[in-house]
Amino acid sequence: MSRRPPRGEYIETDTGNKVARKATLVGTQNIMLGGKTVIQPEVMIRGDLIRSIQSSSSSASGAAPNNTAVSIGRYCFLSRGCCLRPPGRLYKGAFTYMPLRMGDHVFVGPGSVVQAASIGSHVHIGARVAVGEFAIIKDYVRVLDGTVIPPNMVIPSFSIVAGQPARLIGEVPEGGHEAFELRDLYKTVGNNPQPAPS
Amino acid sequence: MAAFVPYTYFQCPCSDSSTLAQSSGSNSPSSAHPDPDDGGIDDDSDRAFDPRAPRSNYSLYPLEYLLYCEDCHQIRCPRCVAEEIVTYYCPNCLFEVPSSNLKSEGNRCTRSCFQCPICIGPLAVTSIETKPDPNLLAAPDSASHSGPYALTCSYCNWTSTEVGIKFEKPNSIHAQLAKLRNGGTSRLTAKERKERRKDPAYTSQRAAAGSERESSDWQEDLDLETQFANLKLFYQSQLADPNSADHGLSSLGDLGFSSPSSLSRIMSIYTGGSLHDKKAKSRVGAMREALESDEGLQLADLDESAAISRLRQEGYDGTASTEQLLEQPPNLGEEHLHGRARFTAELRPIPYLLRTKRSKRCPVCRHIISKPEAKMQTTRFRIRLVAGSYIPSIAIRPLSLSGAGGSFSSSSTTTVPGAPLEPLKPAHFLLTFKNPIFETVKVTLGTPARTPGRFASKVTVLCPVFEIGANTDVWDEALKDSSGSDRDGRRRRGKGDEGGGGGSGGGGLTNQIEVGKIWERGRNWVSIVVEVMPASLHLREDEGDLPLREEEDVLEIPMFVRVEWEADVGGDEVGSAAHGRDSKEAREKRELAYWCVLGLGKIRRS
Repeated sequence: MSRRPPRGEYIETDTGNKVARKATLVGTQNIMLGGKTVIQPEVMIRGDLIRSIQSSSSSASGAAPNNTAVSIGRYCFLSRGCCLRPPGRLYKGAFTYMPLRMGDHVFVGPGSVVQAASIGSHVHIGARVAVGEFAIIKDYVRVLDGTVIPPNMVIPSFSIVAGQPARLIGEVPEGGHEAFELRDLYKTVGNNPQPAPS
Repeated sequence: MAAFVPYTYFQCPCSDSSTLAQSSGSNSPSSAHPDPDDGGIDDDSDRAFDPRAPRSNYSLYPLEYLLYCEDCHQIRCPRCVAEEIVTYYCPNCLFEVPSSNLKSEGNRCTRSCFQCPICIGPLAVTSIETKPDPNLLAAPDSASHSGPYALTCSYCNWTSTEVGIKFEKPNSIHAQLAKLRNGGTSRLTAKERKERRKDPAYTSQRAAAGSERESSDWQEDLDLETQFANLKLFYQSQLADPNSADHGLSSLGDLGFSSPSSLSRIMSIYTGGSLHDKKAKSRVGAMREALESDEGLQLADLDESAAISRLRQEGYDGTASTEQLLEQPPNLGEEHLHGRARFTAELRPIPYLLRTKRSKRCPVCRHIISKPEAKMQTTRFRIRLVAGSYIPSIAIRPLSLSGAGGSFSSSSTTTVPGAPLEPLKPAHFLLTFKNPIFETVKVTLGTPARTPGRFASKVTVLCPVFEIGANTDVWDEALKDSSGSDRDGRRRRGKGDEGGGGGSGGGGLTNQIEVGKIWERGRNWVSIVVEVMPASLHLREDEGDLPLREEEDVLEIPMFVRVEWEADVGGDEVGSAAHGRDSKEAREKRELAYWCVLGLGKIRRS
């Protein structure tokens, strides 16, 4: 903290995103950040894994192809060494990746690998968690450290899950909703971090 | 070993009969203050709260788990609230299940949501490819959506084909599975069973089988459902049979199972009639038990050799664990368990248990204190009275004074968090009380001078009485920041650094920490210092000391917190815990008192 690199460890964008210079973002044009999101060093986001087949019939075919691979909401916090990777599967006989969507106030712990199809808002993913392909995590979910969420698993709101494979171990209590807020955590990192309020 | 994280648990008054009486009756203001100087205990609960008492396990909760009843002005915990189910939904497909369906179809999802019986991971419906033909890749659409389907687990690669279950359609798996037994044979419905009995081919086959074996021993293998149906049919015919009742009672009408006479008749079978009168006795012979498999008799198959040989083959790993068996839903199409062990190869896919959204009521006044929106998708609450927005939260931080506080840029004067406490060396902790309400509150703390339990640590709260500012607008703080509180805090810290230059000795400490002074204060928070002298964990086993129990090395201090504030008199409030001393200004004095437990750290083992 005392010895800072001269340029600043983070790139701070106009929308308040704080992206570490040492983070690995592949295919940045396919990564959408909602703003005020922190990306710590050694984070990897695989924006290059885009949809190889456009969903032809369902979406408007005339419009520009939507190539978003990873979309992240506001006040998300991606800890050191975590990886966001869009999930892929066979679709109509051909392999394709699907976009990874993430809501607001999502914390991803260090060393976690996320391959979910969608993650809601106010989700806390602990350290060393593996979120399987096409998992769906709804709002206000706490995933404890070391959990392995199997592919295709759906985790409803207010769940606390843990274990390998993940199983429901509890419910988020009514008074625990505010603990998911990441506004204060956002302020504690960056080029001129503020101390955490006591 | 994981680092110790300091914690604060609050006691819900529901477990304590004295506080319950206190909350319902008028709160006498004469109840003695907890005397902080000698750490004495207040009089109204005549003993200190012992966090290690077995009862305490059930009444201590982190603040997030507690609710607050605005009418009773009391803390409510998950154990004492009354819950009411608002919505049922499947945790996998997230469909809401109406309660009428619940009565008819049970508490499991009746769509295609299944859990793996081995690892409880979710199962996905996949088609079983007949032949991986490379030519088919050219025209994938026609090829991939055909053929029989199976449930597969993407976590442990279990598939339902392992128990011989395949499905014809990829949808409504639950209905298809209900008709299937393990091994793929279909389960008979009641109608089919009846028809089978009439079927001449079946009866002849049965007769042949009967002649093959000794005729008296032969019996049909009944599954649970068939046996129950047969038995029920048999007993109903027995009850309806006019010959079985030689007294005039049953001739009064067709008495069903629920009539007292048939009940006493059934009872007389099992009690041997000795307890009953003569009438009942004479009726004993009138009813007989089932004798054939058609009547629901199933002889126990005591030959376990098949199970034993299978156990030899598959070993312990082949048997199902208790957890796996518990997860299994009751399966009516199943065979009897006579002489059978349970193997993992017999487990069936588990339909997802439904989950609920629940509202919570205060147990005393029956007011709703938490009510979620009924819709499954929304996460909002209509009513959510959590204790965290009524009572001050307590945060614990270790305070190191010898380290000269580190740099000025950070406010942290912390040691390595989670480090074990040295026995018999005074340690200091910073307790930060944060006031969530819009009034200034006065807090009074009381702790026993020595912690209860075998290893009594000394505890001193250096500033047991203080006031916390109201939780006003954030802008107020921003305006005040330039002039008031912040500078004050900085000054205090600066002075501490001057005084404690080399200070590990006792003299240095007194310069820094002043008794009766607040360490630091902010808009709606106050930090105070607690000094503890951890006890030595030395055991003298030759004198019969028991070995250290689990968690006994954690230094936990019970603390009685009394919060007083003045509030506007609400229109409809009864004000049970309030006394209107200055009621003319429509302000009433409120107080709330409760025990909490501070887990400060682990004491280093000697």
